[in-house]
Amino acid sequence: MATRLQFENNCEVGVFSKLTNKYCLVAIGGSESFYSVFESELAGVIPVVKTSIAGTRIVGRMCAGNKNGLLLPHTTTDQELQHIRNCLPDEVVVQRVEERLSALGNCVACNDHVALTHPDLDRETEELIADVLGVEVFRQTIAGNILVGSYCVFSNRGGLVHPHTSIEDLDELSTLLQVPLVAGTVNRGSEVIAGGMTVNDWTAFCGSDTTATELSVIESVFKLREAQPTAIVDEMRRSLIDTYV
Amino acid sequence: MAPKKPRRKIEQNEDSMKSKKGDTSVDMYDRLRVMGTQSNKRPMKKRPKPMLTFSSFARCNLFSLPKSCNSSSSSPSTNSFSEKNVNSQKKNSKKVEETESSSDDDYDDDDEEDEVEEETVQVDFEFFDPKPGDFHGVKLLLQRYLDNYQWNLSGFVDLILAQTTVGTVVKSADSEEDADDSDGDKEEADEEELFAVITALNLGRYQDNQCIKELKQYLLGVCKEESTKVKLRQVLEKDARDAGLLVCQRFANCPYQVVLKLYEALFDEISWATEDEPTQVLRDSFRFKHYLVITKILENKGPLLQKAVKRKADWVEPVIYMKQEDEILHEMSSWSFTFELSAEELAPPEFKGYKKLGLVLLIKAEAIAKFLKKLKSLVETL
Repeated sequence: MATRLQFENNCEVGVFSKLTNKYCLVAIGGSESFYSVFESELAGVIPVVKTSIAGTRIVGRMCAGNKNGLLLPHTTTDQELQHIRNCLPDEVVVQRVEERLSALGNCVACNDHVALTHPDLDRETEELIADVLGVEVFRQTIAGNILVGSYCVFSNRGGLVHPHTSIEDLDELSTLLQVPLVAGTVNRGSEVIAGGMTVNDWTAFCGSDTTATELSVIESVFKLREAQPTAIVDEMRRSLIDTYV
Repeated sequence: MAPKKPRRKIEQNEDSMKSKKGDTSVDMYDRLRVMGTQSNKRPMKKRPKPMLTFSSFARCNLFSLPKSCNSSSSSPSTNSFSEKNVNSQKKNSKKVEETESSSDDDYDDDDEEDEVEEETVQVDFEFFDPKPGDFHGVKLLLQRYLDNYQWNLSGFVDLILAQTTVGTVVKSADSEEDADDSDGDKEEADEEELFAVITALNLGRYQDNQCIKELKQYLLGVCKEESTKVKLRQVLEKDARDAGLLVCQRFANCPYQVVLKLYEALFDEISWATEDEPTQVLRDSFRFKHYLVITKILENKGPLLQKAVKRKADWVEPVIYMKQEDEILHEMSSWSFTFELSAEELAPPEFKGYKKLGLVLLIKAEAIAKFLKKLKSLVETL
């Protein structure tokens, strides 16, 4: 299920939060309502951690992670690192990365199996990503943009990319990532997909400006609707009923 | 009067994609070009002659101008926003985000220019009717309109964009860099290029909209003085049909020639709307008796003021207006009140000792003509 929300009148939900299958990071400040929406959806399933990264609230864009690990920029303070390590489950490896490109969230897009990175990322960082996150790393661009982490978002079930991605690129990326991809927008035509939303295998959070069309595209490509009872009934109906008289 | 009306009526029916006041014969919107002669005459290193400005803030601003930014507010005789700018004398277009526009040459020029002489940058600003495509730009400008209060900002922006007869957005005529891009990119660039927005919304006409209800709630919540609160409540509830919310937001350091034209354009459109709107109800909705303005000011934090006043005569102002016209509006207002802002905002370094406050004021519609005159004389001295 996809939920619409705002952070202090700002619809860029993917900037202020980071959602994976094992944990969720949320920015401090803003009103409690932002945090409580995440809590109500995820409480009991995965920990929701309030934190800052490098003293900033843009936690979604500063870090990159999946169920295996979390990579933080070198600007993260020791207290923040300790706090995050304490709150996250033990199986998640939290690692600080010495990388010139410190906005890791903008440079790396990943799910639990594959990662797409900024073409100029250091070789050491690429190896670290492969080790800590347990993924296969590909250097790519999306619709000519090098900030792959900003212009695409994908989970283990599907992905959404920049609206100007060509069909050939879509096919190529889809083969690399092994998930179905769709070119679309979020937040009423915003092309910065990863800034406007955050997603894991069973839920997604989008900015409140997201139109119903965009939301339905998101729900279908990330296969979020299949958990709904109605979808199951439709499937059953198709198999039980042969012809309508 | 007669020749004006038919032209405007036709434009209202036109596709709102076209910029307004196309083939204009109205003086106000003739192409203005301020030539860069100022920089040659007056090297910025010497202190200019004392200027008659309203506050020392304006004087500070004047002295610290690195290059004379010449802007011309042009009436777009170019039809659509995607057409190239006809002005052949245009050297360089200054973008707010300087990422992709400046070539390496420009950066070199910037370094040299401080030593040699100021390079004049010619910028053309274009005025358009609001249209739905401007959503993101206008929303960005209005992000902090009500501080960090959670309200239906998107709905408010939609209201502004729906009112095409009264309201203006300012974009830059910046098509040289976009010439090679595909159509999609051109549109994208235009969306982000919004520099200013001005409009007046009738509080009574839109009183059922959720965003206006939340706005009223916010204002009543932040008003701490009881007597002013009574008057505010009167305007928001009983006299809402005669009250207009004057919204003017622009990027910092917007040239005042543009600001003046913005205000003149708005009040002209309001008076035209009282004649041109299709229904009587709509015509009456633009006969404002008062305008409500929500804005921000910097106020001196207090105890330092006494000492400072003794030492340096007029250097420390009790109140600094971030938008120059606010000072005029405040002087001429029927009533006003200030309120604390909840967001932790650092005052810019030159204004240490000042605190940012919100200001709400009400000004009578009759006072507007005088306001425009004062604004004009202020702009001429800047």
